Amino acid sequence: MRRRAKTCPVCESGVRVLDFKDERALSRFTTERGKILPARLSGMCARHQRQLATAIKRSRYLALMPYVRGAGR
Amino acid sequence: MTRHYEMVYIFDSAMEEAQVNEHLERFHALLTTPEKPEPVTSVSHWGKRQLAYAIGGKEIGYYVVTQFEAPAAQLPEYERAIKLDDSVLRHLLVLNEGEAPRAPRTSDDDDDGGPDREEND
Repeated sequence: MRRRAKTCPVCESGVRVLDFKDERALSRFTTERGKILPARLSGMCARHQRQLATAIKRSRYLALMPYVRGAGR
Repeated sequence: MTRHYEMVYIFDSAMEEAQVNEHLERFHALLTTPEKPEPVTSVSHWGKRQLAYAIGGKEIGYYVVTQFEAPAAQLPEYERAIKLDDSVLRHLLVLNEGEAPRAPRTSDDDDDGGPDREEND
């Protein structure tokens, strides 16, 4: 049995560039602790996975997303 | 040669919009060149919002997102002025390549008909 090929959720939605200012969309691709999901789990194509990593890191720098969710509480 | 940039400022939340505008004007004056008297293409005030973590003991910041077009030679002086300004908690300057300046969206969807909006940095 062959597993069905995973499709990139970002390509499917027709978005070309992930926006680091849109923290709600980005947080879909983090764990509950705020780690970036690996492509294996996020199902993203390589290009979008790279964009995702950059976008989340920028978003963290701007305090739109936490580095560690639930830290210091 | 000029390039398109996107800048996000986080100001101290103790500042009012008028004061923020004053600071922005001062920063933007440093980007103005004789060839490009109006470098800033869009300014969007997000207003006060909760920071995901405390920056310098502050939990709330005043966010402003701007887009502008300027030659790279103007940037060091511009960023220096921002770094020296204590009312700016944090800022992020990134290239905004291939994307046409337009009103920033607040919703999650982002449909795009443009052929190329690659970000190469």
